[in-house]
Amino acid sequence: MDAILDVQNLTKHYKDFTLDHVSFSIPQGTIMGLIGENGAGKSTTINAIFDLIHKDEGIVTFWGQELSSSKQLKEDIGVVFDGINFYETLTPVKVGKIAGAAYQQWDRQLFQDYLRRFRLPLDKEIKSLSKGMKMKLCIAVALSHKPKLLIMDEATSGLDPVMRDDILDVFLDFVQDENHSILMSSHITTDLEKIADFITFIHQGKVLFCKTKDELRYKYGIIHCGTAMFDQIDKDDILAFRKDDYQWNILVSDKDSARRKYKNAVVDSASIDDILLLYVKGEQGK
Amino acid sequence: MKSLILKDLFNIGHNVKSMMFILVVLAFAFIPFSGAEGYIFICTILCSMMIVTTFAFDDHSKWTRYAMIMPISKKELVGGKFVILVIFCAIGSLVGLIGSFIGGLIMKKIVLDPAGVGRLLFLTLVAWVFSLIFGSMSIPLVFKFGAEKARVLLLVSFLIPAGICCGIYQILSMLGIVMTDRTVFILLCCSPVLAVIWAYVMYRISCHVFEKQEV
Repeated sequence: MDAILDVQNLTKHYKDFTLDHVSFSIPQGTIMGLIGENGAGKSTTINAIFDLIHKDEGIVTFWGQELSSSKQLKEDIGVVFDGINFYETLTPVKVGKIAGAAYQQWDRQLFQDYLRRFRLPLDKEIKSLSKGMKMKLCIAVALSHKPKLLIMDEATSGLDPVMRDDILDVFLDFVQDENHSILMSSHITTDLEKIADFITFIHQGKVLFCKTKDELRYKYGIIHCGTAMFDQIDKDDILAFRKDDYQWNILVSDKDSARRKYKNAVVDSASIDDILLLYVKGEQGK
Repeated sequence: MKSLILKDLFNIGHNVKSMMFILVVLAFAFIPFSGAEGYIFICTILCSMMIVTTFAFDDHSKWTRYAMIMPISKKELVGGKFVILVIFCAIGSLVGLIGSFIGGLIMKKIVLDPAGVGRLLFLTLVAWVFSLIFGSMSIPLVFKFGAEKARVLLLVSFLIPAGICCGIYQILSMLGIVMTDRTVFILLCCSPVLAVIWAYVMYRISCHVFEKQEV
């Protein structure tokens, strides 16, 4: 599959944080979830992808081209940040006029359709909209210039489950077109479990893994056992582990194999949340 | 570019009523005592200062970051601010002209003859030039130091051009060149060209400052 977005060795050094050789690519027609704890480097990655910060190393290409090489590329990319970037006294209609003047591909009718679909009031100031409505307005703007790639940085954070579900439906609609892709950074892993095809996990500025969601859901597992059993487990099988009050939780990459190998242990499926927690709060295996 | 101009005009449009109120109050406060001429300058400079307010709005909504993911270049973003400044200066000088004309007539501070009207028009142009020079200075400063230091930067942006003018005057005096009324008049006539050159230099400096920045 052709990569819509290809990130190679993206590196950015700060005094107290380093985004360290981050690499991943998003195939056409897929949704990539970017997960990690707060401060892991998700937003820094997105900022570096858009040249909003100067990267120290690495290459980012959209459809094989660097962003700086063609203004047209930005027409095909829709972006939603974690807050609205229009001043609070503007109305959705004015926002549409501003964005419409910026994008050649702007579809006024499509924007109005989204406003209607999201039940957004046309002449109400942004400051009087709820957080969910503001986010829907951002999504309407991002989709109304007919992008092929949608990039979102914590777009669903702070929204209630109903609102998040509505928005996830919009994203699923968007990827019905096989030329469309989404990169979605979020620490709400349940959202990504619903819609993502791939998960890239960033921890302390490094990519820990970039795998299909199905591999994580159906192959990864957690062994729950006591200390005696823990000592018997082959250290090569351990991806990460953490000791609770009464038991050890051990993340393994092949739960079926673990079930066969450690018959006395309880092996459960691992959710993305479990994986994230074990990597972040536990210790990593060898 | 059109998008940037629309955005600033929509944003500042919310402040139009309060600005008009201030200008009306100032008309009553200034025209009877300082004459209609000074009022034109006050209106134009006050309106040109709104350019810093647009930066504050942008900061508040993190607009600049968003603009950079739109098909807008850094140069266009900087250029947009200068176009808006020219528009603000033009609006300010026009409001000043109309206000001083009406206020001057009511308060009998101007004479309705060709010379009087011509003088007002000439001063309107000079006010536009001065506020363009001051406003142009503020743009690279705000790009460099941020809108939160706006008050200090506004002062600096007025002091620097004033300092340069004083410096040139001192040098001319030392060289024995006397500034007559005729010389001043010629300089004022040339001032629109000087202001445009000054604005262009400030635009280039702003581009240089903004190019290096992370947003």
